[in-house]
Amino acid sequence: MSRQSMRANDPKKVSGELFTLTYGSLVAQLLKDYENVDDVNRQLERMGYNIGMRLIEDFLARANPGRCYDLRDTADKIQQAFKLYLGVSPSIGSWSPGGDEFSVVLETNPMAEFVELPDHCLGLRYSNILAGVIRGACEMVQLEVMAWFIADQLKGDNVTEIRVKFVKRLEDAIPAGED
Amino acid sequence: MTIYNLYLFDRDGQLLHYAEWTRNKQSGMTREEEAKLMYGMIFSIKSFVTKVSPVDLREGYLTYTTNKYRLNLYETPSRLKFILNTDVHAQGIKELLHQIYTQVYVEYIVCNPLCQLSKPIESELYAAKLDEVVKQSPAYASRPA
Amino acid sequence: MSGSKQRPSILDKSLSRGRTEVSLTAYALLFSEMVQYSHNRVTSVNELHNKLSELGERVGVRMVELLFVRERNYKRETKLLNILLFVKGTLWKSLFGKEADKLDRATDDERIYYLIEKEPLVNRFISVPRDKSSINCAAFIAGIIESVLNATGFPAKVTALWHKGTTFMIKFDDTVLTRDKQLEGR
Repeated sequence: MSRQSMRANDPKKVSGELFTLTYGSLVAQLLKDYENVDDVNRQLERMGYNIGMRLIEDFLARANPGRCYDLRDTADKIQQAFKLYLGVSPSIGSWSPGGDEFSVVLETNPMAEFVELPDHCLGLRYSNILAGVIRGACEMVQLEVMAWFIADQLKGDNVTEIRVKFVKRLEDAIPAGED
Repeated sequence: MTIYNLYLFDRDGQLLHYAEWTRNKQSGMTREEEAKLMYGMIFSIKSFVTKVSPVDLREGYLTYTTNKYRLNLYETPSRLKFILNTDVHAQGIKELLHQIYTQVYVEYIVCNPLCQLSKPIESELYAAKLDEVVKQSPAYASRPA
Repeated sequence: MSGSKQRPSILDKSLSRGRTEVSLTAYALLFSEMVQYSHNRVTSVNELHNKLSELGERVGVRMVELLFVRERNYKRETKLLNILLFVKGTLWKSLFGKEADKLDRATDDERIYYLIEKEPLVNRFISVPRDKSSINCAAFIAGIIESVLNATGFPAKVTALWHKGTTFMIKFDDTVLTRDKQLEGR
């Protein structure tokens, strides 16, 4: 298949509006398909997880970041990935004393540009897909993490903040018949 | 120089794709059986070498050479394993495998919603692109007639 | 999170200038998830196309609002040909960064137009398996076009077909044609 017909300006970019509106349409569809917002939150996280599993391959291929030796490495790479894929630069901070937990803080959230939460969906974690992406991507490089929103501009907070907590390192799968 | 064949395994040791270019003798077993042995062998070598090696092996590229052939293992941090067998003189195989990963696997499998990552690859586009990339590589082109 | 916090009103923010960009891969993967989600909830190709089209419609409605406020200074379009050129040009450019490849008119039916895009953005990574060769994920874009036409007062049915890449078949309501002829007479 020919790829010459890619966009002349930057072949690897698409309109942020198309992205935001497409995501908005997906969220609206989920709100229609599911009865309660908790299920929508879960489904968004699930979809993010699937995306993360794929996105990490692209990230490894494109950024060639090498392997992570500790969680600070990982945090740096998450920051780098936000820049690469969403064109925003979050700050990393609020490390826990044990160094196993940190925050990804977004000043602007590209997922939610045109969004205002209606009163009946206050429980909706609109950008929950991002938490899923982080979890899915980390799992593919043998890091089990938890990721969840602790602040959201759509709910009146000053920033949008995702908390990431290290759970454990995952080991290589042992082939069938070996032990 | 000659390229023999390529196995692609996922993180669970499942054979995702197999392709061959020069292969004069088949193993006489099913592809599944053969893949299982190949993965098992790589797994054992890797875990043994990790135990005895004084240096850090996390770079993700490993080869060994016998007097007849060379086995090249390219492992991504996401634990996909590309195993390419070549003759002992083949050059630039690490670059070739990196190219297969970034320009064929990522573009045609990862970005294709109709391909599931945990299932063997059936995409014809993938097979065609893989063949194209391999045949364009110097290691393939410069093989003796 | 406390409920007493003042939620910001969207009206306090200025309207996007539409210049931000995100990575193609990020979009492709989001779209891919959407296709898979839709695929899991339907039983036929037709239903899948309808689902994707519905997802596109919501995008289209909002694009109309954005573009008419931003680029057209609220001026509406009244002529059939002009709205088609708007879709081919302005809409396509702001969504995909280029004009659509070609606009054709059916020779046998004056209600039908064809908008041709050799390789639509959403199909770039998709290789359709043989047993499902009729799936065309550009149904999503068909949904966008359809809702843009509906929202601007040109009700039509838009279908994505595999032909010269992808062809969007636009079939206008009879009322649209009648009105356009009346306008012409003036």
